[in-house]
Amino acid sequence: MKAAIQVVLCKCCTEMPALLDMAMLEKIASETPMVMSVKTVDAICDGKNLSEIIREVKEREIDRAVVLACQKKDISPALFKAYTRAGINEFMIELVDIRDQVVLPHQDDRAQAQAKAEAKLEAALARVVMLAPLVRSVEEMKTRNVVIVGAGFAGMAAAQAAAKTGAHTILLESSGKTVKAPGVILTHSKVLGAKGYGGNFQLSIKAGEKVEELGAAAVVIASGGGWTKLKGPLAKACKEAVPLYELYLSIKSGNQIKGPVIVVDTPDPAGKTLRVQDYAWDESLETVIDLKRRSPETLIYVVFQEMRAFGLSELAYKDAAELGVKFIRYDKAGAPRIDPNLPGVLTVKDFSQGEKLSIKFGTLAFASIPANPDNMTIADALRIPMTAEGGIRRGSVQRGPVSTPRPGVYVCGSAMFPKPREVAQAEGQAAGAMAGEYVMKGSIEFGGSVAQVTAEKCSACLTCVRTCPYEAPFIGTASKAEIKTQLCQGCGMCVGICPSKAIELHHYTDDQIAEETRVLLGGDL
Amino acid sequence: MTAAKSLVDRGTRVVLVERTESLGGMARELTCKGLVECRNCGVCFAIDRASDVLKDPMAEVMLLSEVSSVQGDGNGHAVKIKVSPRYVTDDCIGCGKCVEVCPVDGKAIHPPKGGGQPRIHWIDKSKCLHFKRAKCDKCASVCPTKAVDYEDRARNVTRNVGAIIYATGIDPIDACETSRLGCGTYPDVISSVDAERILNQNGRLLRPSDGRAPKKIAVVQCVGSRSVKVGVEYCSKFCCKYATKISQLLIDLDPEVNLDFYFMDLRTLYEPQDEFKSWAKGKKTVKLIRSMPAVVSKGKDGKLLLRSSGDVDSEIAELEYDLIVLSVGMRPSGAASNIAKVLAIGQDKFGFASTNRDLEGKGVFVCGAVAGPMDIEETAVRAIAIAARVEDAKEAKQ
Amino acid sequence: MAEHMPRIVCFCCEKHGIDAAVLAARSGKQYDASVRIVTVPCSGRVDGIHLLQALDDGADAVFVVGCLEKNCYYDTGSIEGRKRVNYVKSMLSEAGIEKERVEMFNTASTNAWAFPEAVSKMVEVVRRLGPIGKGGEQQ
Repeated sequence: MKAAIQVVLCKCCTEMPALLDMAMLEKIASETPMVMSVKTVDAICDGKNLSEIIREVKEREIDRAVVLACQKKDISPALFKAYTRAGINEFMIELVDIRDQVVLPHQDDRAQAQAKAEAKLEAALARVVMLAPLVRSVEEMKTRNVVIVGAGFAGMAAAQAAAKTGAHTILLESSGKTVKAPGVILTHSKVLGAKGYGGNFQLSIKAGEKVEELGAAAVVIASGGGWTKLKGPLAKACKEAVPLYELYLSIKSGNQIKGPVIVVDTPDPAGKTLRVQDYAWDESLETVIDLKRRSPETLIYVVFQEMRAFGLSELAYKDAAELGVKFIRYDKAGAPRIDPNLPGVLTVKDFSQGEKLSIKFGTLAFASIPANPDNMTIADALRIPMTAEGGIRRGSVQRGPVSTPRPGVYVCGSAMFPKPREVAQAEGQAAGAMAGEYVMKGSIEFGGSVAQVTAEKCSACLTCVRTCPYEAPFIGTASKAEIKTQLCQGCGMCVGICPSKAIELHHYTDDQIAEETRVLLGGDL
Repeated sequence: MTAAKSLVDRGTRVVLVERTESLGGMARELTCKGLVECRNCGVCFAIDRASDVLKDPMAEVMLLSEVSSVQGDGNGHAVKIKVSPRYVTDDCIGCGKCVEVCPVDGKAIHPPKGGGQPRIHWIDKSKCLHFKRAKCDKCASVCPTKAVDYEDRARNVTRNVGAIIYATGIDPIDACETSRLGCGTYPDVISSVDAERILNQNGRLLRPSDGRAPKKIAVVQCVGSRSVKVGVEYCSKFCCKYATKISQLLIDLDPEVNLDFYFMDLRTLYEPQDEFKSWAKGKKTVKLIRSMPAVVSKGKDGKLLLRSSGDVDSEIAELEYDLIVLSVGMRPSGAASNIAKVLAIGQDKFGFASTNRDLEGKGVFVCGAVAGPMDIEETAVRAIAIAARVEDAKEAKQ
Repeated sequence: MAEHMPRIVCFCCEKHGIDAAVLAARSGKQYDASVRIVTVPCSGRVDGIHLLQALDDGADAVFVVGCLEKNCYYDTGSIEGRKRVNYVKSMLSEAGIEKERVEMFNTASTNAWAFPEAVSKMVEVVRRLGPIGKGGEQQ
């Protein structure tokens, strides 16, 4: 194995008086075969010794480096940029975080700290010899399309935000309602399937009666809540019951609302078909206050388990009560019921008083926003996991509040979790902006530290296919697994689990990890 | 920070002016509430943003700084910023030796608060002996990287910016305001902020009085919120979310601990309302009590007595606990400052900053919990949305 | 008898795992220097063979640190990591090696106490059980 290594020791990060013996580290480095250059600098980030470092790289034909300093994110990028310009591949630089792994946590144990620093240096040298240059690829995005599923509050906000970034927006609305938004609007449309990856999706959509292919660089899921499809015993017993939003629209249009009005939290208090979810309580309270102000003589009852009036809508709770709206709390034992033989009457056991109440009503509205049943098709098409309540699952907290586990796909509004219109709009704006920004990059970068299958070893057991969250492995035409590089995120889960050891993760191969571990534990170089 | 990160991602230069010594705001002292499984509290998201912003070359971060004046000229704003001296340079590696040797009672040199970034210490000049008698240099002499710089001076800088985002955050409501619940009187009555801070540092919650692990904990919600007499009338929105998750963490850490959760309404954000209730049902030592406790008094053997009326039968109960955590809400911070007035940022009766189309048209935006009660997640979403609006305004001008 | 210097390897994920270790160090937390860290892109990359080989190469204990489950940067990575650790644990007892020598920990980047606590737990295990094959302090 031929290599020409340069070792750079940063004093700023590694020297603490009487802790580490720098001279010893220099000695170990210079005595290691294939190390052609050893440089100790006061502080890499000052950039003063950069020209010297690079001069030696050129003179001694260095092709890889071990840098003992701190974390990559703390070091000034100047060194790495200089290395790249001098022809050293970014994957051939092994950065050892001596500061945080040796100097800081072992301040009082000189002997151990020195032994550990030496072991880390040797392990890095062992590893760097085994590294290979890797190149990342760039693929142009074929379109600047951001496809937004759903033209509700969130979807419209997303379309506006995405359009402002310069992306081309295509709104898919499942109903026939008129929509005013930038870009292309397709009503009576749905997503049926999706191929490809973030940056270059090929979506299969249904627009009216036709099935079409549509290229997209990013997708925003804004399918909202299942407004029109109320399920549960209360909805079944009272066919005229409306979702809260319809009541709100009705009041706004000036319609006469038949009293008494009851707003119940959920059509399914037992939580059998519909897990009791968050509601748009701030909107519900605003609506009943509005109604009470317009027609003070209308009796209004609000029946709930938890009054989830978040934030400033707590004051609406107070105002509504002061205006004469009656609040009735129940628990599972005394859940509201409607006897199908006695429609128009709701019975519920008041929690605080313990009394059973029978309330005649003229209008029944549900505050809850059930999940959109279309979510299942959308999630399936785009291969995004769902939540237990039927919403679209977001990625981990790390990825951000509107991202899904799949790069290039975002989710906002009640599609992920029921929420008030105003918050849904803010999320739509955020998701649209992020999708637009992603698309306007114009290309995606991939490759480098990615997984690769050695076909001869593969037994096509499908374990990798089942394990990868990004659907990067697939069984190719040779009936062996292959990795779609554009989808591979470089985590190595498939590598760790492959029973045939047929997959390797570049830059973190089994041999590289094993060798590093062996030397770290005191094995000889 | 989220807004700043969104902007730099789009290639816009950002100047981030932070009054304290590190980035992270209130999230610095909040703890991660997962042990094996993530509980989606959002704290790591906030702290990760701080790290992101610091390493981005397009973001100029000014710590220990305050905006001293703003002058708009129709084309943007000239912002004068006073940067107070930190007395510790970037060479600081955060080893903490300086704090150990500082002779001042209460210390004059401090690490960043909680999980705040960057991990660089700072000197409080008002307490530091060097500036009083010019002799003490214990911290400087013990510093391994010679990062203490007594010669650091305040600077006044001016930056010309196209837009200003006002995001001064929140202050927790002082649990001692609700004096009947014993905070301030009994050491084993602590606020949720204290509980979070202790858990963040040590990973264990111990009784302040004797350092022992508590066996029976009471968590009380809505202390200082939803109240007319004391504190604030509104609901602070995030306290139920964080308190339920802290409770889950406490049980994870010690499954034998008895935990009673006192609440009025269970306002767990972004979670089905029954989630916490189902979890509690599965734990034999957790009880949910729908009641607002009335009074905390001294019990036997160093324990505390919590008096409350029962949720169903209204019977008065006096239960014994060895640690009581009062969940406090928040008040907006800095909405009434001089700068806010100059920028014509409105204020509602609770002190939340407000903005409108006109103001945004002039390049002034309000972001985060200073604008209204919200948790970390919602703050992040709104910040991304606001950053998008700032970008749009920028495009519109060009 | 000379006191045995424990040798412990930690396979730490590049995301929250290493961030937690760094935050601990930068918060002044000290931990036993017998732990040496090997960075992996995700705790899910860790293969059972790495854990076993580490024990074979002289480690008295091995632990894996990954992101909290459901907050893994790679979604299911730390769940996979835990599966591997559990699998190796079950194999160890067949080989006559104590299960406690291999462990999995989860953490978030803001936890300054998690990494040092993981270290002290593993150091305690080694102290109690001694080097592999030689029995505990009671011998």
